[in-house]
Amino acid sequence: MRIHLTVWRQAGPNVGGAFHAYTAENVSPDMSFLEMLDVVNEQLIKKGEEPIAFDSDCREGICGTCGFMISGIPHGSQPHTTVCQLHMRKFNDGDSFTLEPWRAKAFPVLKDLVVDRSAFDRIIQAGGYTSVNTGGAKDANNILIGKDIADAAMDSAECIGCGACVAACKNASAALFTSAKITHLSLLPQGQVERTTRVLNMVERMDTEGFGSCSNEGECEAVCPKGISLKNIATMNKEFWKAVLQS
Amino acid sequence: MRALRMLGSSVGTKIILAFTGLALFGFLIVHLYGNLLAFLGPASYNEHAHELISNPLIIPAELGLVALFLTHIVKAIGNFGKNRSARPQAYGVKKWAGGPSRKSLASTTMIFSGLAVLLFVVIHLKLFKYGPVYTDAVTGNRDLFRLLLDDFHKPGYVVGYVLAMLIIGLHLRHGISSATQSLGIVPESWTMQVLRGGMALAMLMAILFAIIPIAVYFGVIR
Amino acid sequence: MALDSKIPSGPLADKWDSHKFASKLVNPANRRKHTVIIVGTGLAGASAASSLGELGYNVLSFCIQDSPRRAHSIAAQGGINAAKNYQNDGDSVYRLFYDTIKGGDYRAREANVYRLAQSSVNIIDQCVAQGVPFAREYGGHLDNRSFGGAQVSRTFYARGQTGQQLLLGAYQSMQRQVAKGSVKQFAQREMLDLVLINGQARGIIVRNLVTGQMERYVADAVCLATGGYGTVYYLSTNAVGSNVTAAWRAHKRGAYFANPCFTQIHPTCIPVSGEHQSKLTLMSESLRNDGRVWVPKNNGDKRNPADIPESERDYYLERKYPSFGNLVPRDVASRNAKQVCDDGRGVGESGLAVYLDFKDAIQRLGHDVVAGRYGNLFEMYEKIAGEDPYKSPMRMYPAIHYTMGGLWVDYNLMSNVQGLHVLGEANFSDHGANRLGASALMQGLADGYFVIPYTLAHYIAGTKVEKVTTDHDAFKEAEDNVQQRINKLLAVKGSKTPRALHRELGQIMWDNVGMARTDASLKDALVKIPKLREEFWHNVSVPGDQNSLSKNLEYAGRVADYLEFAELLALDALTRTESCGGHFREESQTPDGEAQRDDDNFTHVSAWEFQGVGQKPNLHKEPLVFEEVHPSQRSYK
Repeated sequence: MRIHLTVWRQAGPNVGGAFHAYTAENVSPDMSFLEMLDVVNEQLIKKGEEPIAFDSDCREGICGTCGFMISGIPHGSQPHTTVCQLHMRKFNDGDSFTLEPWRAKAFPVLKDLVVDRSAFDRIIQAGGYTSVNTGGAKDANNILIGKDIADAAMDSAECIGCGACVAACKNASAALFTSAKITHLSLLPQGQVERTTRVLNMVERMDTEGFGSCSNEGECEAVCPKGISLKNIATMNKEFWKAVLQS
Repeated sequence: MRALRMLGSSVGTKIILAFTGLALFGFLIVHLYGNLLAFLGPASYNEHAHELISNPLIIPAELGLVALFLTHIVKAIGNFGKNRSARPQAYGVKKWAGGPSRKSLASTTMIFSGLAVLLFVVIHLKLFKYGPVYTDAVTGNRDLFRLLLDDFHKPGYVVGYVLAMLIIGLHLRHGISSATQSLGIVPESWTMQVLRGGMALAMLMAILFAIIPIAVYFGVIR
Repeated sequence: MALDSKIPSGPLADKWDSHKFASKLVNPANRRKHTVIIVGTGLAGASAASSLGELGYNVLSFCIQDSPRRAHSIAAQGGINAAKNYQNDGDSVYRLFYDTIKGGDYRAREANVYRLAQSSVNIIDQCVAQGVPFAREYGGHLDNRSFGGAQVSRTFYARGQTGQQLLLGAYQSMQRQVAKGSVKQFAQREMLDLVLINGQARGIIVRNLVTGQMERYVADAVCLATGGYGTVYYLSTNAVGSNVTAAWRAHKRGAYFANPCFTQIHPTCIPVSGEHQSKLTLMSESLRNDGRVWVPKNNGDKRNPADIPESERDYYLERKYPSFGNLVPRDVASRNAKQVCDDGRGVGESGLAVYLDFKDAIQRLGHDVVAGRYGNLFEMYEKIAGEDPYKSPMRMYPAIHYTMGGLWVDYNLMSNVQGLHVLGEANFSDHGANRLGASALMQGLADGYFVIPYTLAHYIAGTKVEKVTTDHDAFKEAEDNVQQRINKLLAVKGSKTPRALHRELGQIMWDNVGMARTDASLKDALVKIPKLREEFWHNVSVPGDQNSLSKNLEYAGRVADYLEFAELLALDALTRTESCGGHFREESQTPDGEAQRDDDNFTHVSAWEFQGVGQKPNLHKEPLVFEEVHPSQRSYK
């Protein structure tokens, strides 16, 4: 297969960037999208040119490191798929793609397709945990949690923090990411003590980082590799006004 | 203190927008009831109007309504600005994701449909509430029914009004379900029903509002 | 230097408790005056950072990823073992200890493993308190499953994402400490050298991977939790960023590397589809519960599997191991797959795969039951391989999965270098020659949550360190050393990419130091590796400069380290002429073709001391003493 690529190249955080055209030759249908880019990069390196910078690590869709826009959709058009798990057999010979980094004020571009997502860490720092010190825990079976509750908490906890939700959102909102953690912890008995402060602090941090608000369009859910549901945001909002009334 | 400050947060803003939006939607339903009385003839229509106008609570109610409107508008504009600045550099290529996404013409144009509705409300108030005053010879009350007939025999008014109702419908199409989602008041298993219900309700509202000028124009209401 | 494992005296079951009591403590008010560097933020690193931060130490945490949450622990699927005996099926701390020692083919330290089994119980409590959503039964109690052929159900799990959930739990605890200021987080920093002052590990040199600048950090002690070295084989189930660099640079500064030849190969991975392949994806071992492994009886039979009649199929595991059948341990399953492929009976385009067939299971149980058990795995397979496992058999091949070897540590998890502690997969201590399924997560968290807080305090309280800043000459020397290496990489301007060279190294390692190793293959590797290293330094291409983000430069540095490390791995494999666990020497097998240990000559840890690149390292032996468990021959017939 031959694939035509238009790729955003940007040398560093504070400089401008532009689209450049590349062609990937001899693409095998068994390649993942990133392996196809690996091949393009091999060619560039051989020519003494700087390869296209993109992030990736586990390459099995769980670490959340990879991700960029493929022709206007985060991680490409396959549902529940990260770019590392997107295989070229889904495409046709001669297809063209535009590759762009996540774009958001809170996710500054570091180079080419690589962005700084440390804002997500800071949102978790604001309250995405239960305050338990090592060693102080009681026997695990002393906390009974119904299977349906545990399953629902797991649905939210599955978030891989890739940032596709922010990238897809017209407001560059981090509501899906933030709400998934709030929902996970608010469902469980372990998360009850800090329930009120958690939601207020995390929302405040989300705003400080420069993310926008949620317009309930659900583009985030549609592009989420883990299919994290928009319902998490409703839960977050409910937790929020309850917390406001309580505080 | 913190509670007040948090109302200015992104989530707080959305909750206020949802709350005021739903309240305004409630007002629209009451308003629609009054409009539909036109089908029963001038007596019912004018009597209902008179009851409203002569009620001593009308002033505080109107002030409340103005407050709702202003809050909704001010918050929406501020929110729009913040959201714009959250993505300073636009994408070269951006597509809708499809699948479970609810993105629609309505959802992407809320600020514009909202501003269009504002413009309509101003014109509407000027032409109707603060428009020519006819008096009913029998009751001595204001004859708004006559004004209704006057206005909607002009084709331009009919077209303008129907267009405005379509825009309101568009705004509500996303607004109703989005507001319930923002408030988080719907049980999770009901999300889809609320979404579809919201759309149906929006369409129904727009049709029922728009049907009156058409009915007047074609002489069904006279 | 003689290796002192510092195993406490006394009965096995009391060693840890008495050791904790005998350990020195650091006054809570004084802890913030002590700085600890932790490199790596996987289960071991993140749990150590959070625990030490909670205690009040001034922790500096480093990782190469853009967030601590992305460390490769996140990819672990199956679960985590703990001797809770919630299922009332006869589990105990002693049984978990015993299974781990036996599973490791009697090449692990009894005392360390016993402590690991003891800590396992607390890990589950800790993780549940953090809000890790482990699977539950309808009554609300924790659910367990049996895993990796264990005879008790002691594995706790969170869907197929146990590693993810445990890591996020540790990460969140760590973020809590970051917010409090007790942990300072440095993401996108790669440790490139260890700084020793007066023989003590006192700091690290890192490269800021975003700006390309060198940075120096000083501390009272350094902990490495930088994972395993599976990617020395190029293709493995590890993340593409996983590397040996931090451990190797510490080794070059004097830390001994123990048992590098102990590598684990996982039998059920999706096979290689071409040269472009960048990593291999593991499919859960549980598939072998219902899938039947076979190859055609005839060499080179390339027919569609559906067209091969039963009479022409060889269900070789069922044939050779009638009692265990398809459920033989990982190493046995892997070696047999290699054997049939070497015989020319492998399937698929490359001939390097065997079938794992669910046809009978679907007939016996029905489509829905099979989908209920393996649906998500089938989906994952279809995504990657492009074939529907409900219709045609899966193709599977073994791949490098975990490395039991690592930097040598004593009972306190301290290496032979004063103050350098090594945690998790990066150390060698607990799994012997083969790791049991669902034990990696257990070890990482035991080290970080429940061991290092005690042993590090003991070190800090009992050690005098000179007050130094990063202006000390040792820092300058180390930074210059790192800088020179980077300059050298950039100066080569050759024509081969780091990836191409890495791929070549991987091929040498897989062919010669892979599932079946011989004297000849290992000697061949020891000739080829230095040659390739030579070529690397003459022909690698690293375009661009060092003053910005350059994935290629990072990668080149890691490959360069692998080209040095690979030689040690092959040498260790050559020196250990016995077969044990994941290390299979063809010369040392039973008449049935099973691994044959040589307990008389090899009941020891091989700890290697660096002598220079290309120089033969010194071998130090730490004898393994078995007081509780008596080594016996494994048999699965």
